[in-house]
Amino acid sequence: MNETQIYDKVVSLISPYAKNREAMTVASRETKILEDLGVNSARLVDIVLAFEDAFDIEVEDEAADNIFTIGDAVTLINGKLN
Amino acid sequence: MSLSPRERLTLDIQRAVSRCLFVFFGPMMVILFHFRFKYKFQDIDKIREEYKRHLNSCQGPLIICSNHLTLIDSIIQSLGLNSILGHLRRYSGLPWNLPEKNNFYHNTKWKIICYLGKCIPVVRMASASDGKKSMNKMLYVLNKGDVLSIFPEGKRSRSGKIDDVDFSYGAGQLIKDIPHANVLCIYLRGKKQGGFANFPSRGEEFYFKMDLINPYSQESGLRKARDLSRQIIEKLKIMEQEYFNDIAICR
Repeated sequence: MNETQIYDKVVSLISPYAKNREAMTVASRETKILEDLGVNSARLVDIVLAFEDAFDIEVEDEAADNIFTIGDAVTLINGKLN
Repeated sequence: MSLSPRERLTLDIQRAVSRCLFVFFGPMMVILFHFRFKYKFQDIDKIREEYKRHLNSCQGPLIICSNHLTLIDSIIQSLGLNSILGHLRRYSGLPWNLPEKNNFYHNTKWKIICYLGKCIPVVRMASASDGKKSMNKMLYVLNKGDVLSIFPEGKRSRSGKIDDVDFSYGAGQLIKDIPHANVLCIYLRGKKQGGFANFPSRGEEFYFKMDLINPYSQESGLRKARDLSRQIIEKLKIMEQEYFNDIAICR
């Protein structure tokens, strides 16, 4: 799976949890998941667990703490897959 | 990342100062509670007897997980669980609370109340390192044998009912780090409580119910935190249903 495919999938997994729908439509790698998309910290946990299920990977607690932007998530997942 | 000696000392000093001044602070709260706002509890003796029984029987740390309806739920809970004399006799049983910093630390009066009322301020949407620091403070007081109270929903209910969809996983995060944690679920509600409110109505009578559970999960990491939080919320939801069933029967 290449980085673009990972990005698309990450965005689709985050989308249901984003309260700020407008920000979601213009999301980029730099978009901050909590601040820009209006996701709360508990839902960020749900998102990380959704990444684990969708990509069949394991995200350690420390690594999850370092996911701030969509790009951080993509980089983390890409590193685990490839 | 554990607490520095200075942070541990700060908590120890807060506890000691709070205990010394509780002789004055406690009765003042009771006077405000009963005479200024005319609040009262339903079956107060039964509540206190039950809490005492749990304090005596629990092996290991005791965490109170309660529903959250008004800004002063922690105060109501503390005054309901024991008398002032009872709290002074067993100060470990007066729960530490976790007020949101932006809501309670904006003026001196509330800062003093929070300091004397055994509070650890927490910040909503805190960074991971700040969140861990708060968590370590909670673990510290629990491991010293004090009771800690947390609102597992992570916020005040906007509907007046327990939010079993959009709840926080903070309680689960805390409990997963404490083997054999005892969780005392408390359902507290003023009988006139409707939906979203800052304070209970004057003259309110509080319904109080508690149940001890030992949440368990075979999962690990974040999944475990989510699983444990869900078990607590489900238990509170059942207790809420029992409350409304009781009310319906009474009517």
